[in-house]
Amino acid sequence: MSKPAKDLLRFLGASGLVMLLAVALTFVVDPLQIFRPARLFAAMYSQDSRMQDAGLIRSQDFDTVFMGTSLAIHFRQSDIDRVLGVRSLKLSLNGSTSVEQNFVLAAALERHPRRVLWEMDDWIFRNGPDIDSNVYLPADLYRRNARGLASYLFSGSMARESAWILARSIPLIEKPVAWLTTGVLFKFPIARVDDINVLRPGFDVAQAYNAKKAMAAFRHITDPVRSAYLADGADYHMQVGNFERDMADLIAANPDVTFTIYYPSYSILQWVAMRDASPRAFEQVYNFTAYVSRRLTSFPNVRLYDFREAKDVTHDLNNYADVIHHSPAIDLKVLSWLAEGKYLVDRGAPTASLDRLKAQVEAYRVEEP
Amino acid sequence: MLFNSYPFIFLFLPIALSGYFALGRFSNLAPVIWLALASLGFYAVSNWQFVALLLASIAFNYLVGRLLITYRPRSGVRFAVLTAGVAGDLLVLCYFKYAGFLAANLNAMFSTGLSVSVLLPVGISFYTFTQIAFLVDAYRGKVAHYALPPYALFVTYFPHLIAGPILHHKDMIPQFEAAESKSLNPHLILCGLMIFAIGLFKKTGLADGIQPLVLLAFGSEASPSFDQAWIGALAYTFQLYFDFSGYSDMAIGISLMFGIFLPLNFNSPYRASSIIDFWRRWHMTLSQFLRDYLYIPLGGNRHGRLLRYVNLMITMVLGGLWHGAAWTFVAWGALHGAYLCINHAWNRFGPAVAPRFARAADIAAWVLTFLAVVIAWVLFRADSMASALSVLSKMADPTQIIFGRGEMANTMFVMVYAALAWFAPNTQEIMGYDHTKRTVGETLGAWSRRPAFLYASAVVLAFGILGIQQHSEFIYFRF
Repeated sequence: MSKPAKDLLRFLGASGLVMLLAVALTFVVDPLQIFRPARLFAAMYSQDSRMQDAGLIRSQDFDTVFMGTSLAIHFRQSDIDRVLGVRSLKLSLNGSTSVEQNFVLAAALERHPRRVLWEMDDWIFRNGPDIDSNVYLPADLYRRNARGLASYLFSGSMARESAWILARSIPLIEKPVAWLTTGVLFKFPIARVDDINVLRPGFDVAQAYNAKKAMAAFRHITDPVRSAYLADGADYHMQVGNFERDMADLIAANPDVTFTIYYPSYSILQWVAMRDASPRAFEQVYNFTAYVSRRLTSFPNVRLYDFREAKDVTHDLNNYADVIHHSPAIDLKVLSWLAEGKYLVDRGAPTASLDRLKAQVEAYRVEEP
Repeated sequence: MLFNSYPFIFLFLPIALSGYFALGRFSNLAPVIWLALASLGFYAVSNWQFVALLLASIAFNYLVGRLLITYRPRSGVRFAVLTAGVAGDLLVLCYFKYAGFLAANLNAMFSTGLSVSVLLPVGISFYTFTQIAFLVDAYRGKVAHYALPPYALFVTYFPHLIAGPILHHKDMIPQFEAAESKSLNPHLILCGLMIFAIGLFKKTGLADGIQPLVLLAFGSEASPSFDQAWIGALAYTFQLYFDFSGYSDMAIGISLMFGIFLPLNFNSPYRASSIIDFWRRWHMTLSQFLRDYLYIPLGGNRHGRLLRYVNLMITMVLGGLWHGAAWTFVAWGALHGAYLCINHAWNRFGPAVAPRFARAADIAAWVLTFLAVVIAWVLFRADSMASALSVLSKMADPTQIIFGRGEMANTMFVMVYAALAWFAPNTQEIMGYDHTKRTVGETLGAWSRRPAFLYASAVVLAFGILGIQQHSEFIYFRF
């Protein structure tokens, strides 16, 4: 064999060896705790819940899982545990569709929790990508099949994060490494599960949530240029089909699990925007959620809450960053309502709360703060 | 198909190489046909609907070129043939690339209600320019008669088809026709793999890695402060360089495995000490094309200073528009045109620097050039003029500075990228790649005496491959 040919083989062999070393590093450090809870190295967590949840489901002990969208992302597990007397695991996904929520919940239900706490927006049931076409959610890693585990182990970014976590465990350089881990380039900056996706300490709540911002968002979405988007993708039959597939079927398949489901407390402006700029969208949401409420109250293992009519919260625009996202203070209020059983939907009159909301919306007059 | 994908690295490339060298043992023509077919397959994997367009473009240009080469009618007729050929190419390019843009602008001005939505065929800008150069040279009598297979390979050659470098027929077709490139050369394969590894690492390790910082300034919901806007703009400056030069390195490396030397596209552009120098170092094959086939035919600098500046502006505005159908690209090209005019005017009228200040002047020129380029990239990256102006206004407003822990850490990461772009040797310096002399790896000495370098390259390849994540396209694919 010629010398260049030997060099070529050495080069390829060395590349293969380095890849295997990287795989070994990821396996040992296991940043997502897919194979085992963290023991050798301090556990670190990422804000990227679509990725992180795959590990949390495996590594955490829980009897209650909490699912939702950005409306449920800032909750603290410790608050949920304290108020509701459970041992919870937050799996909420920003901007998620019902397909994603169903998939992640189904994976979590394999660990046999007793209760699912589910923040439900009507718009999650609009059409989204198929779970295996979703580039942001590593479906095979949730399934723990060979492809998923290989993509985890043969990932350069996971090897890089592993090396970073390893470096962070060396006392001499621990501080500078921790200081550089902001979550932007290195994705595992959080040391406690309870801190995942909560607002950072010192966060200026009053500046982020106030009536001025809520009104600005209201004006933005009701601008004639954009108001047509309020009804975008809201086809009644499609949403009903997605609801049946992603929520109703999961509930029916898990009769031993209690599903505590709630409509979140959007600001009244969300509905008023539809009333004024897109009455068709309002009618659409009314009809669809009436169907959902009737359907969910027919399941014996579901307790449905409707916080949309919680006037003391939804009419106080200082609680909001835009027309739907409420402040952390309302997170705590939601938990207390759940603990008290307040706003529980009556099985005998499942659309009564919706009608009360409709009356509120019709009577509401927008005033500049 | 992407270079930074497992199917390409572990399936397509080994098959293409094996077939090429296996057929090369029996024939000089068969490997050329094989490689042209493989290139079409490469293109068809993700752009199958445009394969017919690519083939039609090849057939059209080959026939027009053949007319210009074989038949020598009166010069008026020849010019008419050339005009028809170039116009045909430009019409197709304009339809696919600019029809939507034109309709949107007409609609904005006259409320026509006109709406055109045309899917852009990947690589059309590159293979159109490549063939226009061929036609112009055929008209000028600078082209020998080429057989169809090497010509088709010249256009479709997969290392360059999607995003360049923009090849020149005189450089490439003789290489495709040469018998020596058809025999397996482990030295070239090793060097090609090393260059490919460097390019892959630039893409997957560096360019993709810094993307989150770019979004600080350019993300859809970004409202950056002064420091965040600068971090984002600088991050994009380095992302674009590592992305596109990484692609070009990969193209050069892949081609080298087939025994074909591609022209260089980058030469450490951020080390440039003037805008003129920058354009000799950035996307060099495009600069050469624009110089030879637009700026010089427009008159270049032959008709006085004023017309030279006009020609420079026209060339750069059209160069900007070549990158995409948007006003941001026009503005970017115009800004660089203005930079070049100022640069030429300074060279002509500016004061001479005293020798003792030469070093300081060089550093000042380098800093000024770099800042000018960064500011122009904001126009290049932004989704709209409004967004570009918003980011630029934030970069010019130092009253809003956060510079908390996150910004400090991000600044450190940007500085690492800056150090690599400014001070690290570039790929051709590392590998001793000389496109003109057709040599590579000679400056490194025998590999056996440099095992550390060999193994370091192996580490780079490994991390480049491990860095392949999800579908991550090269930025220049959209041009």
